[in-house]
Amino acid sequence: MIIYFKKFGTTLNSRQFGKEALAAFMPSLRDVKKNEEIIVDFEGVITFTPSWGDEFLGFLQNEYKDKLILKNTENPSVQASLKILEEIYKVKFNIK
Amino acid sequence: MELKLLTIGQTANILGVSIQTLRRWDKANKLSSIRRKKTGHRYYKKDEIEKFIEHNTKNLFGLAKKWTAIESTIKIPPIFYCKDISIFQGRLSKLETCLSKVKRIKKIYPLITAIAGEIGNNSFDHNLGNWPNVPGIFFAYDSNKGRIVLADRGQGILKTLKKVKSNLSTHQKALEVAFNEIISGRAPEYRGNGLKFVRNVVAENNIILIFQTGNAKLKIDKSKIDLNVKQTNNHLQGCLALIKF
Repeated sequence: MIIYFKKFGTTLNSRQFGKEALAAFMPSLRDVKKNEEIIVDFEGVITFTPSWGDEFLGFLQNEYKDKLILKNTENPSVQASLKILEEIYKVKFNIK
Repeated sequence: MELKLLTIGQTANILGVSIQTLRRWDKANKLSSIRRKKTGHRYYKKDEIEKFIEHNTKNLFGLAKKWTAIESTIKIPPIFYCKDISIFQGRLSKLETCLSKVKRIKKIYPLITAIAGEIGNNSFDHNLGNWPNVPGIFFAYDSNKGRIVLADRGQGILKTLKKVKSNLSTHQKALEVAFNEIISGRAPEYRGNGLKFVRNVVAENNIILIFQTGNAKLKIDKSKIDLNVKQTNNHLQGCLALIKF
């Protein structure tokens, strides 16, 4: 499954909106098959903050672990947010 | 461009001046109105009123500082006030658009927007349901001068962090912890790490941050590795931040 983050907006900020985005997307995650990769595509995202990321990516990381793959992470706010989330979760994201 | 028109009464209310003053400013071409007929009612474009306030508020930081003073009763212009996070989110997107047009920060404007977002989020996340008197935040910026100001009249960092680190006793120590330590207040959430992100971003880019809570203040820039939290003579309620770029 590919999740395009830009479909949630280009300014991904705040825990509240991260939580709402995840809650809205949750029914789609029911279709994920066992061992299926979850690809998160950051293409088109302009501003990404750790608080939004923690609510959404935190869940995905916890749920899918090694099967979670991140794509198009060149944006500086994406890079900086992923760095602090890695520090908090004590994991290394699988970035392609 | 938003073409919403305001009546003279609405405009007077937003600017905090009388209708007579607006008529005078109109005659003097200081702030021109729109009139269908020469003798008709005066209307004002909302966008132009917002620009007028921005251009005529010379010291955004000074205004925010006055607002966060403990005994302060001053009212801030509605254009700078975000009473809830939805309003803040809308204005943050607007900031992002404004910053994207400034050439010298072309590569880092998403980072500047992100740190402004995290500082604002912090105010809302840590005061939700617990605002001492005035809910919401002050949020203003001047993209040409490279200034963003955020402030709240919330509980302040010491009171918030005491809930998870009860041994904290001073604003200075609380500010150090907020910008230094990875902590979790409500496991499994990692709430409270936004300011560490802000610190990392400021330290790695040409950005300066001045942040005050209670009577503790710090300044971070690319050249400073240590936080160097200082005690101030003035004591403010909540938090006050200035981002320079």
